[in-house]
Amino acid sequence: MPRPNSKDGGYERAAPSQPTPARRTFLKTSLAVAGGVLLPLSISDTLHAAESAAPFREINDWIRIAKDGHTIIGLSQSEVGQGVYTGLPQVLADEMDADWRQVSVEFVTGRDAYRIDAANEAPQQFVGASMSVTMFYSRLRTAGAQAREAFLSAAARRFGVRATQCITRNGRVSHPATGRSLGYGELVDEVALMPLNPHPRLKPASARALMGQALHRLDVPAKVDGSAVYGIDVQVPDMLTGAVKMAPTLNGKPVAVTNQDKLRAMPGVVGVVLAKDAVIVVAQSYWQAKKACDAAQIDWDAGSIVIDSDTILSQRQRALKDPHAVTAAKTGDPDALFTSAHSIFEAEYHSPYIVHATMEPVNATVHVRRDEIEVWGPIQGQDKVRWTLSALFHLPADKVIVHTTFLGGSFGRKYVPDFVIHAAVASKAVGRPVKVIRSREDDIRHGFYRPAVSARFRAVLGDDGMPRALHARVVGQSLYWSIKRDYFEKAGGWDETMLDGIYDLGYAVPNLLVESVSLPQAIPVSFMRTVGSTSSVFFLETFINELAHTARIDPVRYRRTLLRDDPLALKVLDATAAKANWFGRPAHGLHRGAAYCLYTGRGGAFASYVATIAEVRVTEGRAKLERVICGIDCGQAINPLLIRQMVEGGIGFALTNTFKSEITFKDGAVAQSNFADYPLLYLAEMPKVEVVIVESDRVPQGCGEVALPPVAPAVAEALFQATGRRLRSMPLDQPLAS
Amino acid sequence: MRFTLNGRPFEFDGDTETPLLWVIRDAARLTGTKYGCGIGACGACTVHLEGAAMRSCVLPVSAVEGKAVTTIEGLSPDRSHPVQRAWIQKDVPQCGYCQSGMVMATAALLAQHKAPTDAQIDQAITNLCRCATYQRIREAIHAAAEQ
Repeated sequence: MPRPNSKDGGYERAAPSQPTPARRTFLKTSLAVAGGVLLPLSISDTLHAAESAAPFREINDWIRIAKDGHTIIGLSQSEVGQGVYTGLPQVLADEMDADWRQVSVEFVTGRDAYRIDAANEAPQQFVGASMSVTMFYSRLRTAGAQAREAFLSAAARRFGVRATQCITRNGRVSHPATGRSLGYGELVDEVALMPLNPHPRLKPASARALMGQALHRLDVPAKVDGSAVYGIDVQVPDMLTGAVKMAPTLNGKPVAVTNQDKLRAMPGVVGVVLAKDAVIVVAQSYWQAKKACDAAQIDWDAGSIVIDSDTILSQRQRALKDPHAVTAAKTGDPDALFTSAHSIFEAEYHSPYIVHATMEPVNATVHVRRDEIEVWGPIQGQDKVRWTLSALFHLPADKVIVHTTFLGGSFGRKYVPDFVIHAAVASKAVGRPVKVIRSREDDIRHGFYRPAVSARFRAVLGDDGMPRALHARVVGQSLYWSIKRDYFEKAGGWDETMLDGIYDLGYAVPNLLVESVSLPQAIPVSFMRTVGSTSSVFFLETFINELAHTARIDPVRYRRTLLRDDPLALKVLDATAAKANWFGRPAHGLHRGAAYCLYTGRGGAFASYVATIAEVRVTEGRAKLERVICGIDCGQAINPLLIRQMVEGGIGFALTNTFKSEITFKDGAVAQSNFADYPLLYLAEMPKVEVVIVESDRVPQGCGEVALPPVAPAVAEALFQATGRRLRSMPLDQPLAS
Repeated sequence: MRFTLNGRPFEFDGDTETPLLWVIRDAARLTGTKYGCGIGACGACTVHLEGAAMRSCVLPVSAVEGKAVTTIEGLSPDRSHPVQRAWIQKDVPQCGYCQSGMVMATAALLAQHKAPTDAQIDQAITNLCRCATYQRIREAIHAAAEQ
């Protein structure tokens, strides 16, 4: 078992060599034992950790234990709100038979154990695509079981008995025959030196103590008293703060700041820095920097690309009818069916560009030194940051030290390290650590957007009302063409994110044609929670609701017929319908809609089933979302609380997408800039959410994104039932009541 | 200029037009109060000014001269405020970034209405949460009211 001792190599060993004054002072404010660790659990835990810091012994890449039994479990996945800070340690602690009350969590980085294979890219440490559970479930179980086995055999040796005569529970090994017992902490010196079994025996489901329990989140206490450290809260000695001003246009660049002398004379200002795409003013405090930044007279090169939403939409509308398209999936003989059909049912759908709008605007703190760069911040891709800064500053990647804080939301946004570059460029210019905070306005105007797409669906229905042929075409800016060109080309010129749920259609349709048209744009795009399916599943499921309506078949029964060969899908659909009393009569004035999705993640990484029923009431033209019922099968539940949170919040997030979000471009610039014109859902608009977690014996599957896709189509159908208006474009043209 | 911050006198000698938020974060080094929008739209920066909820990102520090400001750090020394206890009991936070503001807005609401109705909650809690933890926020407000 490799146990590196590098500064950035996972856990730093106890008794670190003389830390720099900067590091020492900084670490006092966080739970940290150095080495990329700074998530304070709570004040008392911080003190506890600090007191017992010295005797911690490393067991493997994931576990360190002190003599008093205090157990630190490593977390390699950034906590962006999804609950990995609790759920992943829970998996390990269960296998280890650790005492949960003695567990703390630390962020770990820099070892291969923490890296995962992202499709077609070098292995890297990152959070994304709801993949943490899929990627780490087995690793963490193995790590926990390994430790448990070692403690068991170390104790048995001390007792002079066979390991099979001993049992483990709550961080202790006991020998029931004699009543002797030892805590893991008492055994740690031996265990730290023992070779570990690479293939330990894993627990049977019946022996689980923590798995499946709705344990409270470990990060909650620090998030209700202001002590949780986010990127924006990072303090390092000698630090300065930068405010950043980005170009008015999307592709603009600063040419010169013409009043630099005046700015430098303003209170607190230390430097004025021209980055490639921004001007950064560095000062003693944020407000000084911001004031000077606002006063900067900047000559901008507006960029040559004229981007305009109306033009982009008309390009998409043309592409819907273009004779040329790339075939992504084809079964049966759809062409014959459409050619010979008496009647074809057809509809068009649209979905806009939207932006992440994390509550914590992007920011980072960086110290560029001659032979080493240190980064603190809300980082979603630790290796991405290493690679980026390593290339920019011509340093080996292991000379970029990354400290990950809590993330004030990310949803994909903070994987893109543009904001880290700003802080690095500023630090390099002034020779000190600099925290650069982007304003909300520039966070919205210079985001990495979910692409806008449009779709045309056609179907031929049989005498039974069910689709005999389905033709779906989705067109727009391809995410993969824009940022993963190799992957796009290897697939034959189409992009799975544009066709999520369609190219891999789970419905029994005998003749199917799925096409796409990629329309390149110079708009920065990236992954955003649930990626393309927030559009594609809205299109598909609205179309299915329209077909059911045309066929005069109940839309849940319609889907039951389409899913007749998939028992897991039927189970989720039925559980959801039962919870909503779908086949009963709705209360007076209440209108309902349903939708379904099998979400398989990126590259089919996992399979989670979800069905959603929305209940709305429309009064004086305003819609009140009364209740949303969501059934989910994401495999065995590691922690039902975390699943419920992801579903409740996912529904709210999807409702913002459904009713509120739209980024538009005019003359090369983003028209929106803050929550006044890019609004989010309010508490008053949030429906009551009921979650049905469907029992499963499959291994745990992805969860963080899966509740989103069916929300928009279920709500749109309920609104159609209420108003008779088909809403085929997001954001839905329907005011909400509060 | 002087004001009371979490029960103690505080003196700020910088630009009196600086928003209270940045005085709290940069000068007082209390980082629980968050920057979210800078236009008073999201409520991540909510503090108490003389006991009432106030969005500190648009309030010049000159406006609090001689007054009492309470931040999340000053709400209780040990997370024992009923709102904090309810937030923990109901596991409200996800990313948590907006929750200092949510807790402060709720504490001010409960000081005004001991047992707020859903309609009063809808009207008073206009802070934004991108993780949309609203359902648990509502449950936790009712739970806090019962404590």
